Amino acid sequence: MASFVFRRLIAAVIVLLAATFLMYMLVALSGDPLKELRESSAPNKLELMASLSQRLNLDVPPFFRYFLWLGGVGQCFVGACDFGVNVQGLPVVVLLQQAMGSTLQLVTGAQIIAIIVGLIVGITTALRQYSGYDYTITFASFLFFSLPIFWVAVLLKQYIAIGFNNWLADPLIGIPVMIGMSIVSGLLWMSLLGGAARRRWITLGVATASTLALLAYFEMSGWFTTPSVGIVGVSVTAIAAALGVTAVSVGLKDKNALRGALATAALGIALYYPMTYFVFRSMSLPLFFALALGAVVAGGAIGYFLGGRDRWQSARTSAIVAVIIGAVIAIDGHLLYWNDYINSSRVNGRPVATIGSVTPNLGGNFWIQGIDTFTHLLLPTIAIILISFASLTRYTRASMLEVMNQDYIRTARSKGLTQRTVVVRHALRNALIPIATVIALDIGALIGGAVITESVFGWSGMGRLFQNGIDHVDPNPVMAFFVVTGLLAVIFNLLADLLYASLDPRIRVS
Amino acid sequence: MRFRRIGAVIAAVGAATLVLSGCSAPTAESGLDEGTSVDVAWNQPFFSYNGLTSFGNATANNNITYMTNDWFNYYDNTPELKQNESYGSYELVSEDPLTVKYTLADDVKWSDGTAVDASDLLLSWAANSRALDTPDFDSNDFVDPDTGEFTDAFPDDVVYFDSGAQADSGLGLVHDVPEISDDNRSMTMVYSAPYVDWELALYAPLPAHVVAKNALGLDDNEEAKTALVTAIQDNDTASLAKISSFWNSGFNFTSLPDDPELYVGTGPYTISAFVADQYITMKANPEYTGENKPSIEEVTVRFITDPLASVQALENGDVDVISPQSTSDLVTALDALDKVTVLKGAEGTYEHIDLQFDQGKSGVFNDPLVREAFMKVVPRQEILDKLIKPIVGDDATLRGSQMIVPGAEGYDDSIAGNSSADYAEVDVEGAKALIAQSGATNLDVTLLYASTNPRRVNEFALIQASAALAGFNVLDGGSAEWGGILGTPGAYDASLFGWQSTSLGVSSAGPNFETGGINNHNFFSNAEADAVIKKLNVEFDPATQIELQQEIDKILWENFYGVTIFQFPGVTAFNDSVTGIDPSILAPTIFWNIWDWKLA
Repeated sequence: MASFVFRRLIAAVIVLLAATFLMYMLVALSGDPLKELRESSAPNKLELMASLSQRLNLDVPPFFRYFLWLGGVGQCFVGACDFGVNVQGLPVVVLLQQAMGSTLQLVTGAQIIAIIVGLIVGITTALRQYSGYDYTITFASFLFFSLPIFWVAVLLKQYIAIGFNNWLADPLIGIPVMIGMSIVSGLLWMSLLGGAARRRWITLGVATASTLALLAYFEMSGWFTTPSVGIVGVSVTAIAAALGVTAVSVGLKDKNALRGALATAALGIALYYPMTYFVFRSMSLPLFFALALGAVVAGGAIGYFLGGRDRWQSARTSAIVAVIIGAVIAIDGHLLYWNDYINSSRVNGRPVATIGSVTPNLGGNFWIQGIDTFTHLLLPTIAIILISFASLTRYTRASMLEVMNQDYIRTARSKGLTQRTVVVRHALRNALIPIATVIALDIGALIGGAVITESVFGWSGMGRLFQNGIDHVDPNPVMAFFVVTGLLAVIFNLLADLLYASLDPRIRVS
Repeated sequence: MRFRRIGAVIAAVGAATLVLSGCSAPTAESGLDEGTSVDVAWNQPFFSYNGLTSFGNATANNNITYMTNDWFNYYDNTPELKQNESYGSYELVSEDPLTVKYTLADDVKWSDGTAVDASDLLLSWAANSRALDTPDFDSNDFVDPDTGEFTDAFPDDVVYFDSGAQADSGLGLVHDVPEISDDNRSMTMVYSAPYVDWELALYAPLPAHVVAKNALGLDDNEEAKTALVTAIQDNDTASLAKISSFWNSGFNFTSLPDDPELYVGTGPYTISAFVADQYITMKANPEYTGENKPSIEEVTVRFITDPLASVQALENGDVDVISPQSTSDLVTALDALDKVTVLKGAEGTYEHIDLQFDQGKSGVFNDPLVREAFMKVVPRQEILDKLIKPIVGDDATLRGSQMIVPGAEGYDDSIAGNSSADYAEVDVEGAKALIAQSGATNLDVTLLYASTNPRRVNEFALIQASAALAGFNVLDGGSAEWGGILGTPGAYDASLFGWQSTSLGVSSAGPNFETGGINNHNFFSNAEADAVIKKLNVEFDPATQIELQQEIDKILWENFYGVTIFQFPGVTAFNDSVTGIDPSILAPTIFWNIWDWKLA
């Protein structure tokens, strides 16, 4: 194992050296960094050109210049990275730090959501193969996959930002839209849950009616102007989460686990008022993370002690339930400040932003800042999810279908195992092995790959760094970008290999 | 029994829930900043508070420093140079030797409360004249050719201000240390040669006390100022080396620096927040005593690169004012918006075709008759109609002067006096007659232009088609490297590109049109023009300057120098939350009257 990792690392270093050399040559030969100055009519242009040449070592041939650059980057090993300066004379290390920070902020949430949604949708489409739901998702994912991101971005801004903000000025859904949405929701649930004709009709009816009821309640209570989850919402979601997570994770037959999950839900509901009344008033980021961690630990402990024989399974179930309830209560915490946020003079009733990562000079406490981050991340996150979603669902669906047709699945069924056990324990785990590789590589690519998304949404991350570098024939930022993305690609490749080995006992790394 | 108990519990919990759900949790102080600001979109982030160095000199920086620093004069949107008496006054003491006296108003202060005095002006002179720079110092002499780095021999006592000033023009002509009055309120500069754009020579200074404190490690403002003045007056190389080094690089920042002194200013606004690559905010300067007192408390410039993104940001209210690079698609999008005012006008850059008087590729334009014939078939009006009017509408007009910016004083008289009107419409017959008269047979014209610029590619196509009617064979000389080719002998016969007017200064005529001038790429040489330019370079009377410019303009057109076509179109759009925006053709375009902007 160690020798495998060591050999892979050596190979990675060689690959990186060769790749950076090639890239450096390509960038250096791609154009003339002095071009803009050559075209200028400034009287002192010779001096400007001389000073730029000196800053970028342009008098050294590219072949040798690469080693100068490598020497600077090599100092990273002694903690003194020198990625050189850009054409404006700013140190690239500083630019790189800013860019990486903003890209990580942009990409992390989007990637996590894309993975969760992609996996769930992929699995369910595989289980409901050739259903209306499956065809709809297949159509949608191919559609998203083929749409150009810059165009999607413009549409998102037009409808989800500008359109939604306009609608929010007088938030009325209207009866036809309400009915339409309810029927779509009903059809979706019907197709998803499947079953015999009678069950399908019941699903359709119940789903349509409950969606309609919910929308009608929202509309009539003015929920869109003063949104909140409230104790009722928290209770409903908590109990639903307890039942749902238990059903998928261990099955409702496991009374011990179910009891643990329900106890966790009860604790969560009981904590709603103390939290919103007292703790949330002085919230800060460290406290928030501490509470999140506390939720996981408390849920896990309840599950563990009520778990009976399969303590750890029960603990896992309850921990997930605790996280979901915690998230719902946290959302409610944010919604308490929604009106303050939306009516502030800086936001002016138009919460969803089309550009940038913050509202300038907004101020505000933890919750306000949280809402602001959300309204700015919303559109770029949707854009990134739409892209990742397509490939993830397709991979998951294909992998899941392949596994479901294996002999051992038939064996498991013939043993009389429940559908849940077959799907979750026998099929899903094996289906996840190839997907782990895809996800690992995806993350590496995404950090460097959001060039267009960043540009259209006014985020200046890694993509912008790269684009500006190319535009100005500015080798150092481009190389910094390339080193980071190259390094990530190599590391995530290695991680994928290791992950593969640990998930699949048939494979051994040596 | 059991069932009833459970029912009772459920009922109790339900009742409690219903009661409690009626009241929502009390919220803490939201901490929101309820100020209002005008948000302006700009396409490049701010990166240096010193816009006078070679790398700080960018519109993105100069817009901000314009708002945060007052000066003796500024351009309005006529354009016309206006004096700002509340900052101080300047006067021409004598024309020979050229002596200029700057006097500061009494209560001008930096935003940290320190008084602006002659030491600040003196620093501006030292930096922008480079008179004190170590003579003949060439940093390249100390570069190791193998590694490209400075060798150990690089002296640390070198004075090098990176302002790019040259000893033979502008402030570079002021070789001697200017004199400071006893009350420290005025400075008198003596030029070693006449320089007619003397009003534009000196630039708004950086704070002398901040530069000296940081460069020389001092703590007291007055002490720092004195040390700086002494260093300059005594030519103390050791101190000046540190001062120049700090002046060059100390004001470059990409987010708000920890030291608030690094962004003090004298203008109506002062920087209050700056988030890297997102926005920079300026608040009204409480120490400002000048006449351009702003009405809006806070101005934020948000950095949005993508033009269409800025249109949607305007529609969504994320920004209030945009001035994106204009295309017809963009204008269509803007025109469709409600409650948005769209101003279409001109920018400082103008498109023109220069004909090679000598050293052309085919030499076809060595003959004035052929030059005239070609000018007759350049479809100026068609270019304007097809490429510019879709953007700025029917108000677009041809630029008819090689010398004077449209709108500036003397422009109308200049186009009335020159022969530009003869080339407004295509005259194929006239061109044919001239060609026949000249007897020219080889009519190959290689036209140099930027092939990466779609508008110029379209212009080329229109010119090629039109000139073909008269028998010209216009060859595609388009290149992405056109800037490097410009001025290369034998490479092309005519060039199509833009010149940017950054001021109304008249001293740019020399480099452009004089025999052998550095921007004279088409080898134009005319004794009459040279004589007038010589006169212009020493003429201090504004009215006579305009007459001389008109004279040069006339000579240029009569010698078939080439044609000017159009002023670049500029579009500014703003929503109904702000009024008073009236862009200028010269930089800082929309920001020139920031103090007149009002919240609606």
